[in-house]
Amino acid sequence: MENKKILIIEDDATLRNVLSEFLESEGFAVAMASDGEEGIELANNSKPDLILLDIIIPKKNGFEVLKEIKGNKDISDIPVILLTNLGSLDDIEKALELGATTYLVKGDYQIKEIVEKIKEVLSLK
Amino acid sequence: MSWIINDFNIKKQADSLGVSIWQAPSFLFIGLGMIIVFVMTVVFFVSREFITTEVLVTAETIVIVAILSIGNVIINSMERLAQVNKTKSEFVSIVSHQLKTPLTGISWDVELMVDKYSDGLSDKQKDILKNIESSNALMSRMVNDLLDVARMDQNNFFTRKDEIDIVELVKKVIGKNNVLTLKNKVNINLIVDDNMPKIVGDEKRMEVVLDNFISNAIKYNKENGKVEIKVARDNRRALISIKDTGIGIPKNEQNRVFDKFYRSKEASNKETGGTGLGLYIAKNIIERSDGKVRFHSVEGEGSEFHFSLPIV
Repeated sequence: MENKKILIIEDDATLRNVLSEFLESEGFAVAMASDGEEGIELANNSKPDLILLDIIIPKKNGFEVLKEIKGNKDISDIPVILLTNLGSLDDIEKALELGATTYLVKGDYQIKEIVEKIKEVLSLK
Repeated sequence: MSWIINDFNIKKQADSLGVSIWQAPSFLFIGLGMIIVFVMTVVFFVSREFITTEVLVTAETIVIVAILSIGNVIINSMERLAQVNKTKSEFVSIVSHQLKTPLTGISWDVELMVDKYSDGLSDKQKDILKNIESSNALMSRMVNDLLDVARMDQNNFFTRKDEIDIVELVKKVIGKNNVLTLKNKVNINLIVDDNMPKIVGDEKRMEVVLDNFISNAIKYNKENGKVEIKVARDNRRALISIKDTGIGIPKNEQNRVFDKFYRSKEASNKETGGTGLGLYIAKNIIERSDGKVRFHSVEGEGSEFHFSLPIV
């Protein structure tokens, strides 16, 4: 998993930083965005191997970001894991329809487990 | 029937009583009123000599006003109740969600600390971190339970379809309950069929289900009591049972075991920490995972809960 780049799009600074630090210590390269617009820009410029995407984020929400990523053939192959605490049934279905690879409810998972999921998705790619 | 309505102007009478009968949205009550009025009219024509037309019409008017008013009150209170329930669920949902972000922050920060920066920490410091972690886990669990119940009430509850190694998950939950097991001096025995296949379900939710049954079996046991957990295979399903030698559930309380917020008196006497949501949630999760749950319990002797889940 060395040198694989993960883009974290998350507005909560604490969660963003702790995730980033943990992932870096596991050998990943990390890019971070705190809102939807910045997220799309970074997805285009830094071409990550995987994106962790929150739903409730400023400027453009997670769904809009997902739609734009999946609609742009340069980056539409990048797997997107939805990482949210909202998680209503409708939201999850909508996200999967829009092309998210899977979703994780933040509060339910330790970071270790999220790292495992990331590795799983990357190895299937 | 129109002559009755026109001549006696039910609406005016109803208004003077302060009842808005025309808002009643249900034709059920109108229908019911019409049937009764019809029956009254027929009875009147059969036994004419006993009452006059005026008495009949007045009686029929009273009946109609009464039925529509009662109907209106019933429908209004049902609507109000539904609204209150909806507001309550939405409130719980929003609050829980707002609580989850900081709780996740605490949990992940402690994990980062323990995993990556614990070199040089004293044992005391490590113990304190462990305490923070377990208090935080307890709080997260409580918030999750409330959120799950709110979602179940709103019919917005969802489960993942993971492939789960159920034996590993059972072992994990037994491990998580180690402290409780030692404290209550309970003996746990795990019996597993060879070559158990994986099951289909939501791994995190299934952990909650197992934890509810297993921790209950430990908590409400006797000193030196036993807990027997079996994981077996039956055709296309996995069968899981958790049997204890505890206080059992009194017969007259058994039909309420899976009710929301229900706690048996004995259970509350023994352990004050519960919310009464555990088994309600467990049953819901199992049923939404295409499973079934049953139990058998004898007061003073113990309980056995068993449920089945689809295998991959």
